[in-house]
Amino acid sequence: MTERTRSLRILALALLLAWTGPVGIPGAGAAPEGQMTWGVHTSLAPTWFDPAETPGIITPFMVLYALHDAVVKPMPGKPIAPALAESWTVSPDALTYEFALRKGVKFHNGDPLTAEDVKFSFERYRGTAAKTLKERVAAVETPDPGRVRFRLKQPWPDFLTFYATATGAGWIVPRKYVEKVGDDGYKKHPIGAGPYKFVSFTPGVELVFEAFDQYWRKAPGVKRLVFKVIPDESTRLAALKRGEVDVVYSIRGALAEELRRTAGLTLKPTIIPAPFWIYFADQWDAKSPWHDKRVRLAANYAIDRTAINQAETLGFSKITWSIIPSSFDFYWQPPAYPHDPAKARQLLAEAGYPNGFDAGEYYCDVAYANLGEAAVHYLQAVGIRVKLRPLERAAFFKGFAEKKHRNLIQGASGAFGNAATRLEAFVVTGGTYVYGSYADLDGLFREQAAELDRKKREAVLNRIQQLVHEKAMFAHLWELAFLNGVGSRVEESGLGLIAGHAYSAPYEDVKLKGK
Amino acid sequence: MKQYIVKRLGYSLLSLFLLSLTIFLFARLTGDPVVLLVEPGASQEDIDAIRTQFGLDRPLVVQYGNFLESLIRGDFGKSFYYRTPVLELYLSRLPNSLLLALAAMAFSLLIGIPTGILAAVRVNRWWDSAGKVFALLGLSLPSFWVGLLLILFFSVYLGWLPSSGSGTPLHVVMPAFALGWYFAAAHMRLTRSSMLEVLGSEYVKLARLKGLPEALVIAKHAFKNALIPVLTLAGINLVIMVNVAVVVETVFAWPGIGRLLYEGIAFRDFPIVQATVLLGGAMIVVVNLLVDILYAAIDPRIRYER
Repeated sequence: MTERTRSLRILALALLLAWTGPVGIPGAGAAPEGQMTWGVHTSLAPTWFDPAETPGIITPFMVLYALHDAVVKPMPGKPIAPALAESWTVSPDALTYEFALRKGVKFHNGDPLTAEDVKFSFERYRGTAAKTLKERVAAVETPDPGRVRFRLKQPWPDFLTFYATATGAGWIVPRKYVEKVGDDGYKKHPIGAGPYKFVSFTPGVELVFEAFDQYWRKAPGVKRLVFKVIPDESTRLAALKRGEVDVVYSIRGALAEELRRTAGLTLKPTIIPAPFWIYFADQWDAKSPWHDKRVRLAANYAIDRTAINQAETLGFSKITWSIIPSSFDFYWQPPAYPHDPAKARQLLAEAGYPNGFDAGEYYCDVAYANLGEAAVHYLQAVGIRVKLRPLERAAFFKGFAEKKHRNLIQGASGAFGNAATRLEAFVVTGGTYVYGSYADLDGLFREQAAELDRKKREAVLNRIQQLVHEKAMFAHLWELAFLNGVGSRVEESGLGLIAGHAYSAPYEDVKLKGK
Repeated sequence: MKQYIVKRLGYSLLSLFLLSLTIFLFARLTGDPVVLLVEPGASQEDIDAIRTQFGLDRPLVVQYGNFLESLIRGDFGKSFYYRTPVLELYLSRLPNSLLLALAAMAFSLLIGIPTGILAAVRVNRWWDSAGKVFALLGLSLPSFWVGLLLILFFSVYLGWLPSSGSGTPLHVVMPAFALGWYFAAAHMRLTRSSMLEVLGSEYVKLARLKGLPEALVIAKHAFKNALIPVLTLAGINLVIMVNVAVVVETVFAWPGIGRLLYEGIAFRDFPIVQATVLLGGAMIVVVNLLVDILYAAIDPRIRYER
C-alpha cells in the first residue's frame, strides 16, 4: 500500500463517517427545527403546568395543550375528541364510562402512561369543579393498565363535558414522578405526555418548551416554543412588528386596525365562548321601570351592536343574541333584535315613558368599559338616561355576586360548561349572579337536571332559553372576538383550529414557513 | 450614641409594623381576590373552596396574626397566583430591578449634573432657560408615554433596540432612559440650585479674588461642595427607583419588582402586594436609619436633640 492510497482510504473513511453521521440518528431528516415565540398578554403561572389545579378558565389551556395530554379533549372539528383514550363506552344505565387507552403512549421521562396515571390524576385533581366531579363519581377503577372505568353515583349527563372540557381533571400527570418529587417539585419541573417538554420557566416572565418527538399524534413541527409575557398592548404589537415574537395575543380597537394595516402581519381573530350582555337587575322590582317588559325590549332595540362590533373589534365579534356561547352544547339560537331606535322610543312611550326616564346606573368591569360606553350611548339616544359606572374587575364581580349592583349590569362569562351550567349561574334561582328568577324557568331547569334522554333534555334546555328570550331578561351585546396578530415567519399559528379556543392549539400542528 | 441608635431602631421597627398593618388592611379593602381566580359563572362551592385554601375565610384579625407570625419567621407567604413563596419571586426579580435602577441612576446623573452645572454657571442665559424647559419636560412627561415613544422610534422605526424583555445590555437602554428621565430632571434642578448657592458663597468669592481661573474655581471649589446634596438625593432616589419602576417595567416587559407589584395588584395577590410594599418600605427605612446614624456620628449635636 503506497502512501498515497493510504491517505485516500483515510479520506474516504472520513467522508463516509461524516456522511453516515446524521443518518445514524433515526428520523433526523424530519427533526423539527426553529423556534416560535408568543407575546402573551397575561402573566404565566406555574399552576398552569399542573392540571390538578386548573381553574375553570381558558388561559391555562394555553400551556396544557403543549405540555400535557388528556384522556379526551376538544380538538379541531370535535368538541370532545379521543386523545389518550382511543375510544370510550357508556353503559346503558349511564352509570359507567369506560375508556380504552391508546397503547404505547409515553411521558416525557420515558415512563409508559397507564390506567393508574389516569386514576391518580383524577383523584389528585383539586381545581375548579373538583367538588362537583368528586361528589358524583363513586369510583375510578383500573381493570387493566389499558382501561379506566368511571362509576357515577347517579346518572349525570354532563360528566363528559366536565371531564373533557370544563376542567383539568382529564389531563394526565405521571403518578410515579409526581409522588417522587411532590407537588412543589412538580411545578418546578413538570413532566407530561404532551407534544412539548418543559425546559425552563421564570414566573410571570418567560416559558420555554422543547419538542417531544415521541408524541403519539405526530412529531411537533417546531423545535422550540417560547412564551414571553408582554403586558403592554402597544409593546406587544411593537415586538411583533420587529419580529421579536411570531404571535401576539389580545390587541384591541385602534391597535388592531394598525396591525391589520401593517404589511407582513396578519390579524387573526378567535371567537371565544365569552358572551357579554346587559342584565336588567331590577326586573323583579314592581316599582322599577325595568319591571315592564316593553322597557327591556326598548333597550334591546336601542343598541346598534353591529356598529359597536365594528368600532371595538373590527367587526369580528359574533352577535348571537344569547348569554350562552353559541358553541356550547344545548345552545338555542334566539331571533335577532334589529337596531330600531324608533321602535325603542315607541315601546318606551307605550310603557308610559314618552320622554324617556332616568334609568340609574350601568355597572361594568373597567376592562370592558369601552363596550359599556358604546351601549350607554345608544340607550341614552332613545331616552334611557343611564350613567356608566365602570368598576375595577374584582370589585365589579364581587358586587355582582353579592347583589349590590342595581339597574343595569354588564354581565360576561368565559367559564367552561354547557347551556345548563350557564343557566345555573345566571338565570336559575340560587345562581351566583342571579338577582331574581321565574318559577317556570326554575321548574324546567329541575326537570332537565335528571333527564337522561339527551333529546328530551335538549328540548327542555331549549325551552328555557326560549323563555329567557321571550321575557327579555337580558340584552345581549356580543360574543367577544379575541384579536391576535401573526408575524410573517409563521405558516400555521394554530389560532382558531379548535372552536372556542382563544389561543394557539394543538401545538404539534403549528408550523413556521419553509420548515 | 448607643442609646440614640437603639431609639432610632425602635422607631424604624414601629414604622415597619404600622406599614404592615396598613398594607394588610388596604390590600383587603380593594376587593376579593377569589373572583379573579375563577371565571364569573363558577359555582359558589368552587369559590368557597379557593377561599378556604388561601385562609381568606378566617376573621381578619386571625389572618393578620398569621401574617405577622410568618413575617417574624421571615416567611412572606405564598403567592395566590403563582403559588410560589413570595420571597423567592421577589429575590428573583430584585437583581433586574437593581440593574435597571443603577443604569437609570447613571444616566440621570450623567445628564443631570453637567446640565445643572452649565445652567448655574450660565444662570439666566439661554442655556439656563433650555435647562429649565428640559427639567419641566422631565418632571411632567409620563414615563409610560416616553417609553412608548422610545419603542416606536428606536425599535420599530430604526430597529436598533429590542422592544421589550431583558437579557442583553441593549435591553436595558430604553427602560433606563425612560426611568432615568424624571430623575435626570430632578438631579439637574438640584445641581443647579446647589451650585448657585455655592457660587455665591464667601470662599468662592475669595478664590476668585485670589485670581484663580474661573474653570478651576467651578471645578475644584464649587462643584465638589455642590455635589454633596445631589449625591445624598441620588442615594435615596436609587431606593425609590428600585421600587417605583412599576410603569416603566410594565411597558418594557422588564422583569423587576415593579412589574411584580403591578401583577400583584392586578391579580389581587395579597401576599405579593404585602411583600413588595413591606420590603420596599424596609429598604427606605434602613436607608433612613443609616443616614440618621451617619449624621449623628458626624455631628454630635444631633444625638442630643429629641
